[in-house]
Amino acid sequence: MAIISVQNLSKHFKVFKHHRGTLGAVRNLFSRQHTIVRAVDEISFNIQAGELVGYIGPNGAGKSTTIKMLTGLLVPTSGELLVNNLVPWKERQKYVSRVGAVFGQRTTLWWDLPVIESLSLLQYIYKIPADRFTANLKEFRDTLELDPFLDTPVRALSLGQRMRADLCAALLHDPDLLFLDEPTIGLDVVAKERIRQFIQKINRQRGTTVILTTHDLSDVEKLCQRVLIIDHGKLLFDGALNSLKERFSSKRELLVEFAEVYDEPIIDSAEISHVDGSRVSYLFSRDDISASELIGQLSAKYRIRDLEVREPEIEETIRRIYEERLLE
Amino acid sequence: MLQTLQLYRRLIGVQIRSQMQYRLSFFVEIAGTGLIALLEYASLALVFARFETLKGWTLGQVAFIFGLAELSFGVMDLFFSGFDPGYFGQFVRRGRFDQLLLRPINITLQVLGSKFMLRRIGKIAVGVGIVVSAVGMNPIDWTPLKVLLTGTVVVSQVAFFGGLFIIGATISFWTVESIEAINIFTYGGSMMISHPMHIFPTILRNFFTFIVPAIFLNYYPALYILELPDPFNMPAFAPFLAPLAGLWMLFMALVIWRFGIRHYQSTGT
Repeated sequence: MAIISVQNLSKHFKVFKHHRGTLGAVRNLFSRQHTIVRAVDEISFNIQAGELVGYIGPNGAGKSTTIKMLTGLLVPTSGELLVNNLVPWKERQKYVSRVGAVFGQRTTLWWDLPVIESLSLLQYIYKIPADRFTANLKEFRDTLELDPFLDTPVRALSLGQRMRADLCAALLHDPDLLFLDEPTIGLDVVAKERIRQFIQKINRQRGTTVILTTHDLSDVEKLCQRVLIIDHGKLLFDGALNSLKERFSSKRELLVEFAEVYDEPIIDSAEISHVDGSRVSYLFSRDDISASELIGQLSAKYRIRDLEVREPEIEETIRRIYEERLLE
Repeated sequence: MLQTLQLYRRLIGVQIRSQMQYRLSFFVEIAGTGLIALLEYASLALVFARFETLKGWTLGQVAFIFGLAELSFGVMDLFFSGFDPGYFGQFVRRGRFDQLLLRPINITLQVLGSKFMLRRIGKIAVGVGIVVSAVGMNPIDWTPLKVLLTGTVVVSQVAFFGGLFIIGATISFWTVESIEAINIFTYGGSMMISHPMHIFPTILRNFFTFIVPAIFLNYYPALYILELPDPFNMPAFAPFLAPLAGLWMLFMALVIWRFGIRHYQSTGT
């Protein structure tokens, strides 16, 4: 069953012409000149319960406008939007009681309160039954390792600690749906990895549907089976990350270390991009030859000591999609 | 209803505990707001040192009005500081308002519970002091009705100023550039109400009689309590319109506020 169903959803903003200076400020009050910006333009998709979906796009693509509509903060200009069988902005209080959200840049916790007090206030706000609260808190204290800073005021937490506390806060009321906006922003590698593992665990063990928006494509690569790409308000891609890679990946790279130094170890279906003594790297494209065929051809002609296939980075692929507008 | 009150109490409890963590700054700020209120009053008193009366009113009479307004504005600021337009505009711009919308409780209650300016106690204390000394300066013939009316005036002015704050906060959904214009509205309103209305030009007074009924919140109750003649020949019940005027203002403000939230949800700015 689809937990989120979006049909021809659009959000247009009127941007009023801005006049400068003091006189301009007065004119701004009366001027009705404006242009229409289609922040989100006729997008449609369904998300099934239990999915973990990455929602990506460059700055200003319409990502956060979509998320704001999905969370009920913004009323769409047109189109249909049903989440959890509710229209988010119409039944706000009922809707948000089943939803959790973490916006990486800012905390939902009370700045000057110890973490534990914020959490128990949230228990009150979300009317979480005592047994659920206790069980959840126990689990999250464990998996997110909250204990060392449970009694510390939020303002004194490190970014990584705050993110962990915020994740706990967003999940205490057993939401069906979790919105994560840049959950790993500004974190070091270890902290990122810990957050990712936690998100995956929540998704797998609790079946919580997760919508993840991020700039860090390694988040998407490690977590999401499915990815939605939006740019200029249009949904450009909706599908598995792998198929995206297969369709649009730039060249793959084969690094070979030969047993001896050959003078120009040429092969027809791949080009040499770099030679360093016995180490040679080849670029080849998926359409021309598979990695195993290439290796076969090479090993028939030369003696190989070691080799490695490098897939193109997802960053590279996505960047090319944006820049060259491959999906339009 | 009971749950709402309990929730409000808990949200306010958080605010108070948070402020108490900064003990020194807390006391300095209480002293600071008190001192500012005291200086405002001193500058008013200095005028009387030269001119004896302000269009027929003595210092004691003006101080009565002035003190009630200071006291009421202080109490209002204590409870309604979440709506303080200067603060609320930032609150919205930083996305904090969005976060409140993501919680399954009434949004107005949450904004009320998002700030509690305990340091206004300084201003309130000075306001009480001014009222007490004004009562000492005037030979008031106290009756139970006059005592009741004085208390009602404070509550009504709190509602009135609260309404001004809410309207100001609503305007900041549309624009933050005009924050100064909004301040003229809120602080200007409190300035008007802390002075006897007959000193203002007719057009301004009419505005504050028929459009924004502020005159019934300070001037008419004061005329009754201090037993002064009414220069504008209003009906005899005019002094007792205070609660109506206060509640009307607050009600209108909440209507505008709801409209503002709807606008916010459709534009996101």
